[in-house]
Amino acid sequence: MKKILSIVLALAMVLSMGVFASAASELAGEYDVTVWAPEAAVSLTEQQIADFNASNELGITINATVEPVSEADAASNMDTDVSAGADLFFFAQDQLSRMIKDGAVTKLGQGAAAFVTENNSAGSVLAAQSGEDYYAYPLTADNGYFMYYDKSVIPEEDVDSLEAIIADCEAAGKNFSYELENAWYNAGVFFGTGCHSDWSTEDNTNFTLDDDFNSENGLIAAKGIYKLVSSPIYVNSSNADFASGSAVVVTGTWNYATILEQLGDNFGVADLPSFEVDGQSYHLGSYNGCKLLGVKPQEDAVKGAALNQLAQYLTGAECQIARTVEFGWGPSNNEAAADESVTSNPALTALAEQSAFSVPQPNIPGPWWDIAKVITTDIKASDGSDAALQAALQKYEDSVGAASGITLVK
Amino acid sequence: MNNKHHMGLRTLNRVSNTAIYILLIIISVVWLIPFIFIVLQSFRVESTYQVGYVIPHQWGWQNYINLWNSDFKRWYLNTFIIALAAAVLVTVIQLCMSYTLSRFRFKLRGPLMRFMLILGMFPGMLTMIILYRVLSDLGLTQANAVPGLILVSVASSGMGYYVSKGFFDTIPKSLDEAARVDGATRAQVLYKIILPLSKPIVIYTILTAFMGPWGDYVFARYVAMGTSAGYNVAVGMYSWLTNDQIARMYTTFCAGGVIVAVPVTILFLCLQKYYVEGVTGGAVKG
Amino acid sequence: MKQYSDLEYLRLSKGQKFSYKLGSFFAAIPRGIGHFFANIGKYIKNGVVGLGRELGDIGSTFVHGDWKTKTSFVVMGFGNLARGQILRGLLFLLFEAVFIIYMIFGGAHWLSMLPSLGKVGPSSEYNAILDTYTTVYNDNSFKILLYGVLTFFFIIAFIYTWRVNVKQNKIAEQILKSGKKLKADKDDLRSMVDENFHATLLALPMTGILVFTVLPIVFMILVAFTNYDGSHNGYTNNLFTWVGLDNFNTMLSWSGGAGGGQSYSATFGEILAWTLIWAFLATFTNYFLGMGVAMMINKKGIHLKKVWRTILVMTIAIPQFISLLYVSKMFARNGLINLSLMDLGWIKQPLPFWEDATWARVTVVLINIWIGIPHLMLITTGILMNIPADLYESARIDGANAWQQYRKITLPYMLFITGPYLLTSFTGNMNNFNVIYLLTGGAPTNPAASGAAGSVGYTDLLITWLFKITTGADSQYYLASVVGIMVFVVVAFISLVVYNVLPSIKNEEDYQ
Repeated sequence: MKKILSIVLALAMVLSMGVFASAASELAGEYDVTVWAPEAAVSLTEQQIADFNASNELGITINATVEPVSEADAASNMDTDVSAGADLFFFAQDQLSRMIKDGAVTKLGQGAAAFVTENNSAGSVLAAQSGEDYYAYPLTADNGYFMYYDKSVIPEEDVDSLEAIIADCEAAGKNFSYELENAWYNAGVFFGTGCHSDWSTEDNTNFTLDDDFNSENGLIAAKGIYKLVSSPIYVNSSNADFASGSAVVVTGTWNYATILEQLGDNFGVADLPSFEVDGQSYHLGSYNGCKLLGVKPQEDAVKGAALNQLAQYLTGAECQIARTVEFGWGPSNNEAAADESVTSNPALTALAEQSAFSVPQPNIPGPWWDIAKVITTDIKASDGSDAALQAALQKYEDSVGAASGITLVK
Repeated sequence: MNNKHHMGLRTLNRVSNTAIYILLIIISVVWLIPFIFIVLQSFRVESTYQVGYVIPHQWGWQNYINLWNSDFKRWYLNTFIIALAAAVLVTVIQLCMSYTLSRFRFKLRGPLMRFMLILGMFPGMLTMIILYRVLSDLGLTQANAVPGLILVSVASSGMGYYVSKGFFDTIPKSLDEAARVDGATRAQVLYKIILPLSKPIVIYTILTAFMGPWGDYVFARYVAMGTSAGYNVAVGMYSWLTNDQIARMYTTFCAGGVIVAVPVTILFLCLQKYYVEGVTGGAVKG
Repeated sequence: MKQYSDLEYLRLSKGQKFSYKLGSFFAAIPRGIGHFFANIGKYIKNGVVGLGRELGDIGSTFVHGDWKTKTSFVVMGFGNLARGQILRGLLFLLFEAVFIIYMIFGGAHWLSMLPSLGKVGPSSEYNAILDTYTTVYNDNSFKILLYGVLTFFFIIAFIYTWRVNVKQNKIAEQILKSGKKLKADKDDLRSMVDENFHATLLALPMTGILVFTVLPIVFMILVAFTNYDGSHNGYTNNLFTWVGLDNFNTMLSWSGGAGGGQSYSATFGEILAWTLIWAFLATFTNYFLGMGVAMMINKKGIHLKKVWRTILVMTIAIPQFISLLYVSKMFARNGLINLSLMDLGWIKQPLPFWEDATWARVTVVLINIWIGIPHLMLITTGILMNIPADLYESARIDGANAWQQYRKITLPYMLFITGPYLLTSFTGNMNNFNVIYLLTGGAPTNPAASGAAGSVGYTDLLITWLFKITTGADSQYYLASVVGIMVFVVVAFISLVVYNVLPSIKNEEDYQ
């Protein structure tokens, strides 16, 4: 059976190369397409699609309607009704498994898969993958977080120590915003103490998780979390809170422009600090994720192929650089990442510094996020004793073990 | 003795009146504060995000200009059309329903009222997904969300007949009977006798039906499904408070709030008298 | 439980009467249930006999009817047409034609698929030439269920109409035999605005309710018996199908639910308890404080009554999504209230309005008072003014102070008049989605209930939980349906109890 399959595949490849010219002309035509992009990116995306129409040699003309739909809404809208969903949409990679489950993203053909793997950073390639197949095009590789701070409160020499920062905030009566009651953020603390969390899936329904959050290293991380959440200055937020009492905010590039405006001359940005447990220092880790561009499954192969052409253009180096210049989004495309506009951006530089401590975010099923965020809630409610922290971790392990669709191995 | 007692009462009265005035002033302040704050923030131009003070450092119309340049006009128009259509159609339907159930005694009346009472006990939230699909099959979602929302809000409005039925119940039946004796048909009784007496409840129904769509968020969001052209003000403005937009759009949200609230409030205050009559005449009768 | 005679009952005090009624209601429940089962045989017998009588009548109509009547059994409305009732005849005929066309071009198909809810799901195909995957969509479980139910409704309506058609033939024959004249079209039209005016008035509203309320509710009840969720959406991924009572087992079982932690039933119990507490607090705080404000404004000697009223009423006019969202931000950790209090030096740390379970619950109740008082103020103002002034006058002469007057006159009068309103407002508060959703979204998260679908929070009501289940990552519509059915059961039970206890609800005719 496998043999037959490989012969068919080989034949298909030969055929596809042989008829490339005719395939190209086959794609010529007009297509009505809906695109969902975050509000900020709507006009740039319209512009880029117009450029695509003018520049592509395949004779494709896209009549696009670009709707402002946030990345989170894209997923929940697709949950409701895929048929009414956009043909092309921006979404965050943690929604990939949900999108695949909904039948909202098309599997990429071999050429498209090669385009993704050859041009993008390793982490972002991983983000677009589920099992052996690829389901989306990486758009950015900046979906990570680092630290913005107010230089008038936190002196330069303190930015590497969590304890010093907490002390500075407490002294100044300023808050520390860090959304630890969210698994995307609290998992980073565990990575900082050497824990791992590896996911794999065959069918995108049943996932296998190999993690050691409930371990000695995990306990150290729990102590680190307790240090911050037990402080009165802790705020569970990742918004640009500088105007409302925070001196430190752990968030990502999407808040760069706002925070720059809020802090003005006192603007500071750095990788995450380290925290100390039993005399040993641990650098806070993080997830490094991507934003992806999804293509909805089409019934018409020609339109599907044309959409894939457009998606490749929109996620290519040129378009990614344009987004960096306009909104400071960090590119996933290798060529774009080397561009001067990227290397000179302070937020992207901080992100790059943090990347030494970050873990590429794999394809994780939805329920895990809900289970893992409770670790922080439990730690916050506890008295901080080893036993209580251990109990929070044990509860996490039990919950994951009992979750449907997740198999925990240790 | 008697006189003294009287004096004591009067001082007591004065003390309690003063206390009441103080309380009322406190209440008024508490009730108005959020609205005053929204108005003040809508004029703040030095920053667009949440801040820890109320009085703007710099005043201006920038947020209103932003509003004008955004899709807000479209959302406002959508909501206005829905509200207007709902006001007319919902009123017709509810009045038909409540008048019939108040005035006629027919075989199915009791079962019908009990049936609707039971229906009303199901959480309406549950049926959103199916209503969405029905509208989607009819092509009344996304860009065509406006007729879709009108259809849904009008179609089920018969269920809300209670208040106006309570009002009709208070109109003496002898009026109808007299007219019937004079040879008027049932329809003529309605047009010539009952309707002229029902001004308060008609205005009450129009007013509540008109105000409803301005706050409709959950279902409207479903129906619009990410198509800005089909948003109403609630869906559109709510999107400004999401994490990726709040820092840029917070004050614009406040400005939008003012633009939405002012006309509705003025209308409401003008017709307040009828609203009160409607509520007190009908609402408590269940 | 002791049974009182009428006379004894009348001699009881108010409180005793109330508890007697409450007690006898609950005492009656087992009896009622027993009664129901004891009579189940009788119900069935009555049903069978009734059906038999109908069938017998239909048969005899056919046997004794003339050729016009007999033809009407197949061609509906033929008898009417043949006897000159053109309008009725055409309507019957049209209905039959629409029914047959619908059944041929869809109805039969949907109905036949109903038992399986679809057989072939979507499939992905590789197009080697274009190197792309395409998807072929096949059956749609959602549509099958929806149109299946619709077809079912349609068939019932058809049978009913057919029966009416047969009966009309029989009646027409009898009338003609007795030498009288049949109603002409003109008479039918006239009756629509006269003796049958109620049918004319109800036609449109009831159609709307049937299609947009009854049909969806039937559909959603059926969904509780399927596995319809995000991974079985019935069209673009997997089809869904019937699973019997599985979902009820999941919801009601006491063992740990999927996702670990506590069972669904425990989570449901917790949320239900808070929902009831919330509904109670929200209803009665608003009620008494609203009444208090109304009495203050109405007190003799208080000036500017209109101004006070207008200020409060303004808040009704402003859409809740604006006011509640704004207030929610005001109370946030780094919102205006905390920042101002800290600036004033009154507090050192921000108050955890939305972070601590108890704080959050108290805060939503308080803000709900802010939302609710104006409405209650309006309602009670009208009633307060209707209380006969001489009642107070005579009480004053008897030397009653203000508190006594309130206890003995105002409160009983108010409770009597507003009894039904309190009930609807209680059930309304149980389902008060807006206040909770816009203020807290259910936060803070309840760690114990993390396993239950849709991450439950301490301020979540059943209705917001239901919403979270449908919009969460798994979109478990089937579970939401089960919760919805249970909400219905709770609301129906409470209403039933209150209806049987409250005097002012029972007899609507008393009001007229």
